[in-house]
Amino acid sequence: MTKSEPRRITADVAIVGTGIAGFAAAVFCLERGIRAVQLGHAGALSYTTGYFDLLGYDRGRPIADPWAGLADLGATWPGHPLARLPRTTIERALRRFTEAIGDLGIAYVPPGGTNVRALLPTGLAKTTLSIPATMAGGAAALAAKKRTVILDLVGMVGFSAKEFVANFAADWPGLTSARIGFPDLDSGAEAYPEVMARALEVRGTRERLAERIRAVVGGAECVGLPAILGVHAPDRVHAAMEELVGLPIFEIPTMPPAVPGLRLRELLEQGMPARGTTLVSQHKAARAELRPDRIDLHYRDNFGEVVIEATTAILATGRFLSGGLAAERTGVRETLFDLPVAQPATRGDWHRDDWFDPRGHPINRAGLLVDDDFRPLGSDGSPVHPHLFAVGAILAGQDWVRQRCGAGLAIATAWAAVEGVARSTG
Amino acid sequence: MSASQASAAIDFKAVADRLLPAGSSYDSCLACGLCSSGCPASGLEGMDPRRFIRMAMLGLDEELTSTPWIWACTQCKRCAQVCPMNIDVSVLVGYARSMWPEEKKPRGIVRSCHAQMLSDSTSAMGVSPEDFVEIVEETAEELRRNDERFAKIEVPIDKPGAFFFINQNSREPAAEPEEMRPLWKLLDYVGADWTYGSSGWAAENFCMFSGDDAAWKAMVEKRVDAVNALGCKVWINTECGHSFYTLWKGVERFGLTANFDYASLVTYYAQWIREGKLPVNSDWNTRGIRFTLQDPCQLVRKSIGDAAADDLRFVARTLVGEENFIDMQPCRSANYCCGGGGGFLQAGMNELRHAYGKRKFDQIEATEATYVLTPCHNCHSQMEDLAHHYGGSYRVVHFWTLICLSLGILGPDERKYLGPDLRDLGLPQ
Repeated sequence: MTKSEPRRITADVAIVGTGIAGFAAAVFCLERGIRAVQLGHAGALSYTTGYFDLLGYDRGRPIADPWAGLADLGATWPGHPLARLPRTTIERALRRFTEAIGDLGIAYVPPGGTNVRALLPTGLAKTTLSIPATMAGGAAALAAKKRTVILDLVGMVGFSAKEFVANFAADWPGLTSARIGFPDLDSGAEAYPEVMARALEVRGTRERLAERIRAVVGGAECVGLPAILGVHAPDRVHAAMEELVGLPIFEIPTMPPAVPGLRLRELLEQGMPARGTTLVSQHKAARAELRPDRIDLHYRDNFGEVVIEATTAILATGRFLSGGLAAERTGVRETLFDLPVAQPATRGDWHRDDWFDPRGHPINRAGLLVDDDFRPLGSDGSPVHPHLFAVGAILAGQDWVRQRCGAGLAIATAWAAVEGVARSTG
Repeated sequence: MSASQASAAIDFKAVADRLLPAGSSYDSCLACGLCSSGCPASGLEGMDPRRFIRMAMLGLDEELTSTPWIWACTQCKRCAQVCPMNIDVSVLVGYARSMWPEEKKPRGIVRSCHAQMLSDSTSAMGVSPEDFVEIVEETAEELRRNDERFAKIEVPIDKPGAFFFINQNSREPAAEPEEMRPLWKLLDYVGADWTYGSSGWAAENFCMFSGDDAAWKAMVEKRVDAVNALGCKVWINTECGHSFYTLWKGVERFGLTANFDYASLVTYYAQWIREGKLPVNSDWNTRGIRFTLQDPCQLVRKSIGDAAADDLRFVARTLVGEENFIDMQPCRSANYCCGGGGGFLQAGMNELRHAYGKRKFDQIEATEATYVLTPCHNCHSQMEDLAHHYGGSYRVVHFWTLICLSLGILGPDERKYLGPDLRDLGLPQ
């Protein structure tokens, strides 16, 4: 390591953030041959179920046809970022992103015309658009009411087969539960899904677990397991386990710390640099400068200061948890560029009286206002910088948690921003 | 073991608050458990990183100061790597270690640190400067005598103005001096302008692990002075993990002046291969022997980052063949510690260390590789021990061994880490 500083990295685009939005932008840049540097620390990506939602709910009611729901958004949610994009753009973005994830190593059921009812660990279903292949059997089993045995594991605190079955009892009569011990992790001490998933990448462990599964399946047509079928190569582990058990198996995502988010994170952090993205994965941007001809991002690593000098930038830093927005006594602040944040007039207006009000809370719709090219707007209503874009959950006018639209919002707006970057960089 | 007499003078919450990255807050810790899920020390001694940080927030300082878990945590920083809030439990563990009375600390770690303070060598195995010089000269003379290709090889010690100052893990001069020869041969092969120092040559630093800041500083000072005195431009850390981290971190932490750059030997392996100075290839691997790679935490996650992981893979793939290389998972900056770091290997807590290492064993087994390459002595010893303990059949090998094997210059007695499949390869019949 040389001590000359600051070191400089140049790029066509600096992508700030390593969540779904940031990685989607990186994927689309790679496809277009745009030189990207992506920067970010561990964020909320690890918390995902692995399901890619587009639009799952409207004011508390599940939506079967997300495309019809999107068509209504213009009227029901004025200013919603997804309402600004044509269906063809959203479809193309989702298809390309799930294909890219498949190429990297996690197969997804291609996003189609309708939502599916996918399983949640508590014994509920949610409407979502595209799910990993290892979990697809669960949605199918629910739809066909197959005779299914749900298994949980000694020591795994985030998933109870009994609870799952009890909550589904009315809806899914052929459901039973059983508990088994995972090989070498069955002492009763807390055992994490991540550890089991790694262990299942070893052939011998798969054989021993399969034997224990076969002993309890009874007359079931298929087997539901918490998501533990490998971290790195889930489709291979899934296929191997089905063969060993002799029945179709599906995974159910579990509470964090869970495997599906780790899979995506490790896959993208490893696979994207191998394909050409420059990924700075351990650091957050400490500060940024908007210059007339470029955008600079500064961070420090163990050996001093580094400056990313980029022609354009995509802000994909997420909301409060991931640090893109900060909630302070005086209001909500955007943390990197100090961009204006559309927000309720006072802190007292952030929330409605009823926490569970299906309309959600005004604070959840706070965020950045953007133009049609997804460039954040200044207080005068014009873009803050001609080559600065913002994507994903940081955008104003959406409530991704209640609408279940987080992945679709991230991926589709990333696509739109990368189109803008392509125009800017020629 | 316990530290019941340790005073609870440390206010963990205050220390933790001071160490937080700007803009972060423990109030934002969701207690999600990613740290514990990703920590091989979770569950040992009834503790895990999430519990540790929650206890710190609750002010349970005495419990944290006395739990022996701090000697099972290898301070590998994986908790910080996966935490959305970037909370680093390993730094708190370092503080907790410093609070233990010396007589209660694991003896193996303390003894190694004491040995380092015995002479200018800074050797944890107590090899004095005179002994080091003698062992190096004798071993070099043997090489010159027995291999005519290296009849004139030089192994400089205390050569003023040499470009590289190269350190040396004590294990070789103390226990297996013949293992130094592959390193010398490849340095000779590329025509490197290098030197050892009779002072500050040793590549280990247990004083950081024992939580003794004054001793850590003294060790780093001695080494920095030795390199400064010779006027070398680059200090190269050989195939060892923590001595790299302790040096650059020590310079930063104690405000020392190092008039040289720090580098890992791996960086130079990669550079020399790219420049054509080290024309290695995988032609020797005709049987498709499969290799995996262990990223040392101290070198990759804690120091250079993924740039070092890239170099490691470039060198490994060139050496064994793209099709014969398989990564263990997770890897690079996300790799698990093997369980040999942080002084754990020397701490005498073998049962816990084996339990910690089960994840590493599973990672290696999943690759179904015959060999594990690693540029770190603690990783090396721990993974060998895990193979013995859990019944694995893989072997662990240094890079210098394979580099010289590929160049056709690996001597017959430089092959102790190779299996029967490679023990005679390339030797004159």
